[in-house]
Amino acid sequence: MKTEFQYIGKRVERQDTADKVRGKTKYVGDMTRADMLYGKLLTSDKAHAKVTIDKTKAMMIKGVVAVFTNEDVPQTPYNSNQWFPGAATAEDEYVLHKIAKHVGDRIALVVGETPEAAEKGLNELVVFYDELPVVIGFEEAKKNETVIFGTSNLAFEKSLACGEISEGFDRADIIIEDSGSTPKVHHSAIENHSCLAEIDPFGNLVVWSPCQVVFQVQHIVAKALGIPYDKTRVIKTTIGGSFGGKGIPILEPVCAFAAIKLNRPVQIVMERKDSVAGTRSRNATIQKIRTGITKEGRIVAREIVSEFDGGAYLTNAAAVAMAFGKKAFRLYKIKDQKYTGRTYFTNTVPGGACRGYGSPQLHAVSEININNAAKAVGMDPVQFRILNAVDPQEFILGAKDDIGMPGIGNARIKDCLIQGSEAFDWENKKITVSSKNTNRFAYGIGVAAGVHGNGYHGGFPDYTNVDIQVMPDNRIMVKMGIHDLGCGTVLTMQQIAAEALSINPKSINVPQADTFTSPYDSAGTQASRVTFVNGGALKEAADLLKEKMITSYAKLFNCSVDAISMIDGTIGHEEGKKISYGELAILSEAKLETTLKIYLEYKSKGNPAVYAVSFAEVKVDKYTGLVEVIDLLAVQDAGQVINMTLAEGQVEGGAHMSVGMALSEEIKYDKQGNLKTENFSKYHLINAPSMPKVRTLFIQDGEPLGPYGAKSIGELAAVTPGPAVMNAINDALGTNISDYPATPERIIEALSRMRS
Amino acid sequence: MEINAVINGEKVKVTCHPNKRLIDFLREDMGIISVKEGCGEGECGACTVLLDGKAVTSCTILTGQIDGCEIMTVEGLDKIGELEPITESFVRNGAVQCGYCTPGMVISTKALLNANPNPTEEEIKIAIEGNLCRCTGYNKIENAIKDLKVKES
Ligand code: FES
Ligand code: FES
Repeated sequence: MKTEFQYIGKRVERQDTADKVRGKTKYVGDMTRADMLYGKLLTSDKAHAKVTIDKTKAMMIKGVVAVFTNEDVPQTPYNSNQWFPGAATAEDEYVLHKIAKHVGDRIALVVGETPEAAEKGLNELVVFYDELPVVIGFEEAKKNETVIFGTSNLAFEKSLACGEISEGFDRADIIIEDSGSTPKVHHSAIENHSCLAEIDPFGNLVVWSPCQVVFQVQHIVAKALGIPYDKTRVIKTTIGGSFGGKGIPILEPVCAFAAIKLNRPVQIVMERKDSVAGTRSRNATIQKIRTGITKEGRIVAREIVSEFDGGAYLTNAAAVAMAFGKKAFRLYKIKDQKYTGRTYFTNTVPGGACRGYGSPQLHAVSEININNAAKAVGMDPVQFRILNAVDPQEFILGAKDDIGMPGIGNARIKDCLIQGSEAFDWENKKITVSSKNTNRFAYGIGVAAGVHGNGYHGGFPDYTNVDIQVMPDNRIMVKMGIHDLGCGTVLTMQQIAAEALSINPKSINVPQADTFTSPYDSAGTQASRVTFVNGGALKEAADLLKEKMITSYAKLFNCSVDAISMIDGTIGHEEGKKISYGELAILSEAKLETTLKIYLEYKSKGNPAVYAVSFAEVKVDKYTGLVEVIDLLAVQDAGQVINMTLAEGQVEGGAHMSVGMALSEEIKYDKQGNLKTENFSKYHLINAPSMPKVRTLFIQDGEPLGPYGAKSIGELAAVTPGPAVMNAINDALGTNISDYPATPERIIEALSRMRS
Repeated sequence: MEINAVINGEKVKVTCHPNKRLIDFLREDMGIISVKEGCGEGECGACTVLLDGKAVTSCTILTGQIDGCEIMTVEGLDKIGELEPITESFVRNGAVQCGYCTPGMVISTKALLNANPNPTEEEIKIAIEGNLCRCTGYNKIENAIKDLKVKES
């Protein structure tokens, strides 16, 4: 029987929307301070060069206060990707660089009294580039003729395996091989990177940042600048989108450095070309996949080799290769499987977290390969997936998967496939779709499945702290290190606490992360951990608070705890007095000398998998190569949706990103490492007329370890729509396009190759 | 140069370099922060304002060009009470996530509804084709605009 919830699953409205519509919400670029200075970053025009900068002329410009280059900043290397101090990694970045390693690399900061002064100063810098050989693309990187860092351009390599693949392939009747590639993707948060740093009246550094992990920013800034952690205050501001792009500190160290040095507030706002060239991107991949199947359509062995373009700095070289690889073992039952990941340095924008972290790349190619496997044995691609998909794992605390990672939990992939194909009308469409074909237009349908996780448990420290308190005015204060990236995280937390305590979510304040006021959180708002881990922590803390409230009431009114109930902000005994939570807080302090408050350190207890399946129908113009997605259904195994409106928003927005990766989005460089896609006129985001309506379907069967059964949604949402569209294109045309994106040029080329 | 314009319903007379981008003039000189910069090249629509009732990107217009014209942003619509139904519909439909594209979307919506109180789905999509949103996939924004149509009796 399903529990009836008071707030969970309900379409509670966000409280921050009205101000955003009215334009009242302040982002970092809208903040001002008395005496504030404006910083403009000089980024490299060359992909690889020793840089010498003559500041003389710039310093003579009226209003230019300072120009900083590598010579002025501390020479402590760091790895901006390191999100907790204990993470083992080499360090190859500096606050500002003397050797530019990619176009867009930060090489100087001009600080002015006004934005115009800083801009003028920037234009007056005389920059000498002593150019070095450039490494672009995998082939160049592998030659190792020019090494970007350390002794080789191979930044990371590792294999994961279960069983023995040679034995598995021996048992296979057919082996299906595919290769494919995925491009570097720009996160395209509409707000560019920005930061404001100042010194507070007590001498603490305060960094205002639209970030995803305040404790990471604190760590990187304190380390890079050699200042005390405890005097480094990082406050997460309203963010104009991130998608992983603002997860790694870029501007914070240099902005903080300037504020300390000049003892005045400094604000830096990037321009779009620098956001594309000088921040982070989704790692490009090239992949080879071999899948061994039996005549009956069972997958018996698989080998996946994926290479990642890590860009110019180490950043996430290891993390992305591992995140990609681990997921290969959690979607289908494959006894013998091996994965090898390798990440290479190139003179391009460094890699970083990007919505889905490895999953979009893995499924982009492997789900095409799965379709080809189904075709090879004459099976329907949905049925083939149902036959091979994993089953839910019995709930045992500490369960493991095939490679020793935390168990997959209540894995409802088969439900996604079965219910999704019904909702999409797959069987019927399969028969009728090609009847729409004309000379010019070809129609096709496609399906793709995918898997993602719920945090870091099993890989890295995954714990958080919650401080929850009943206030005298009958409101609840929740302190925890959360960062709303626009998805509605705050509301999700409000609804979880509201459900536990039976009080209107609007009465609960959940301020966002601030290293001076939020208790420590080990990993921030990334890795799809917030609903599952932070939400799990909040639920547990709220349940403990409820217990404390009930025992306090029993003591105060001298009654047994049994018949005390808490409803809509009021607590009372069957026969006794009903008082508000606030009144109880006041009485508890006055009479019991205690605060109605719980402090909890919560460690994540699992890392279940989440699943999605997308179904797409496309119409391809064979003359122009243009693709129209005419139907898209996204099905997600969500455990329990906390807020249906927010969940749909995640799936619709994720589809935008994923379909974009399939059709048009790609960061491109020429051979010299010059960026060819520095703005939205050349980097093509899908706009409203090209965006299909996204039908959504949530499988809600509860995850035992998740708060009220919930698990992650938002990152997974960006995984399967693209591959489903790609499979639909190949279905329509009879092609096997597996290089993303399927641009009109690629489609025309594939068609002409097929004809010849 | 001296600029005479009506900004958000108020007559203003200010001296400003005619080559200053309108977005910078509105943000820096007028303190109108709803006008956001996302690309600076007329490609994202975050800086959209109404210029004599038409939606334009303020990053591609110079302040000299608005002399004698009327500029309206969401702050102005709010002041004259024309924002309320839009706000209400955007809230109800969950049409806002990070909110960075939102003021620009609202201005394009307003321009559409002024010219065409009963737009079709297609017309709604075209009205916001210049406004990029990375968060929502546009679906809920389109629903919010649909809800604002003058209901035919
Ligand atoms: S900032 Fe004007 S259109 Fe993007
Ligand atoms: S709501 Fe974030 S860009 Fe539109």
